[in-house]
Amino acid sequence: MSVPTKAGVTEAKFEVRETTMSMQGFHGKADFWGQTTLWMLIVMSLVPPIYFSFILGYHPGWGAIAGGLIGYAAFIGIMWFLEPITYYPVLGKSGTYIAFLTGNIANMCLPCSAAAQESIGAEPGTKKAEVAGTLGIAVASLTNIVIIIAVVLSGSYILTIIPQSVQNALQFILPAIYGGVLGQFALKKPLYGLVAFVIGMAVLFAPIFSLIKIVLCVAITIIVVLFIEKSKSGVPE
Amino acid sequence: MDDVLRFANSTPVWLFAGIVVAIVIFQALIFIRIASQTAPNIGMTKDETKRALRTGFISSLGPSFGIAVVIISLIAVLGGPFTLMRIGIIGSAATELTAAGIGANAYGVELNSPNFGLEAFTTVVWTMCLGGTGWLIFTALATKSLGKVEKKIVSTNAKMMTIVSTAAMLGAFAYLASQQMVKGYSETVAAIAAGVSMMVILTFAKKREIRWLQEWALGISLVIALTISYLTTLI
Repeated sequence: MSVPTKAGVTEAKFEVRETTMSMQGFHGKADFWGQTTLWMLIVMSLVPPIYFSFILGYHPGWGAIAGGLIGYAAFIGIMWFLEPITYYPVLGKSGTYIAFLTGNIANMCLPCSAAAQESIGAEPGTKKAEVAGTLGIAVASLTNIVIIIAVVLSGSYILTIIPQSVQNALQFILPAIYGGVLGQFALKKPLYGLVAFVIGMAVLFAPIFSLIKIVLCVAITIIVVLFIEKSKSGVPE
Repeated sequence: MDDVLRFANSTPVWLFAGIVVAIVIFQALIFIRIASQTAPNIGMTKDETKRALRTGFISSLGPSFGIAVVIISLIAVLGGPFTLMRIGIIGSAATELTAAGIGANAYGVELNSPNFGLEAFTTVVWTMCLGGTGWLIFTALATKSLGKVEKKIVSTNAKMMTIVSTAAMLGAFAYLASQQMVKGYSETVAAIAAGVSMMVILTFAKKREIRWLQEWALGISLVIALTISYLTTLI
C-alpha cells in the first residue's frame, strides 16, 4: 500500500487502520473466534456419545462412563491444565487457540510456528513472531486435516502407494522433528541449548511422575536462563 | 465386533465427523485471515506474510505424514469417521488408543475382544470424546487470562518475553528430544542428524541470504535425518 508522502503520520496510520487490524484488535478477534470455535467443538464432542447412548440406545450405564472418564483423567487429565500453560509462552494467544483445537502441538504446531518465525527473522515473544507463528500453525492445521481426510477416506490406500522403506523411515519422524527444532533454537543461543539439553536429560532420568517431566523441564530451563541473563546484565561491560 | 464397526461407520457418524472437520478448517481459515490483516500494522510486509504461510505449509508435510502413518492402527479399532474426528482435533493416536482401552475396561471387556459389543463401544466413545474436551474447555476458559499475564510481563519488560519464550521452547524440545534419543541408536542418530542439518542449513541460508532455503530448512532436515536413521537400521 502506498502512503502519500504529504499526508501526516497520524492520517496515514488512520487510513491503514481501516483496512487492517491493530495487535489489540487481533487479540480481541483471536479471543472471540478462538473461544467460539472451541465451544462449538466442545458441543460437537457431546453429540456422538449422546447419539450412541440415547438415539441408538446402547447406553452402557453412567457407572461405566464415569469409570472410563476417571480412568482417562487419571491417565492424562493433568495435561488438560499443564499443557496449555506450558506452551503458552511459545504459542501466544492466537497460537494457543489453534494448537489446542487441532492438536499435535509438540510434533507439528510448535515446529511450524518456529519455522515460520525463523523464515522472516522474527524474535520469539514479539508481535511479529506471534502473527507469523499463527500463520504457520494455521496452515499446518489445514495441511494436516487435509492429509488425514485423504488417508481416512481412501481407507489407507494412500499408505499402500508410499513405499515401505519410506514408512519405515517415518518411524523416526519424532526424534527428527524434536532434534531439528532444538537445533534451530540452539543455533541462536548455543549456551542455553546446552543448558536445556542437560536439564532435559537430568529430568528424564529423575524418578518423578513422567507426565509432569516436560513441564518441569520447561520451568527449570526458564528459571536457569533468566538467572544467567540476570547475572550477565549485572556484570558491567 | 462387526456390529460395532457397522454402527461406527454409519452415515450419522460420518456427518458428525464432517462437522468436526469443518470446524477445524473454519478456524484455520479465520485465523489466517485475521493474522494477515494484522500483519501490515506490526511491520510485516506482504512478502513476509506469504513466506510465513509457505514455510508453515512446507514444514507441516513431514509431521503430517508421520501422523498419517500411525492413524491406520486407529481405523481398525474405531472405524473411519471416529478416527477422523479424534485425530483431527486435540489428542494423538497413542492417547486415543489408550483412552479406548480405558473405556473398554471400564465396561469390563477388552478392546477388540469377541465380547466387545456396542455398549462397550459406547463407553469408549464417551471416554474419548469427553476426555478430549478437557483441553478444549481449559483453553476456552483460561487463554484470555494467560494473555493478561503475558501482557503484564511484556509491559514491564519486553525483552523478558523473548527470553522466556526461547527458554520455554528450548526446555520443551530438549526434553522431547532426550526422551526420543534414549529409545535407541537410530532415534539418537535421527535427532542429531536433524539438529545438525538444521544448524548447517540455517547458517548457510542466512550467510548467503537464500530465502527459499530458510523456508525449506525444517523439511530438508527431516528428510536428511529420516534417510540417515533409516540407513542405520539396514546395517
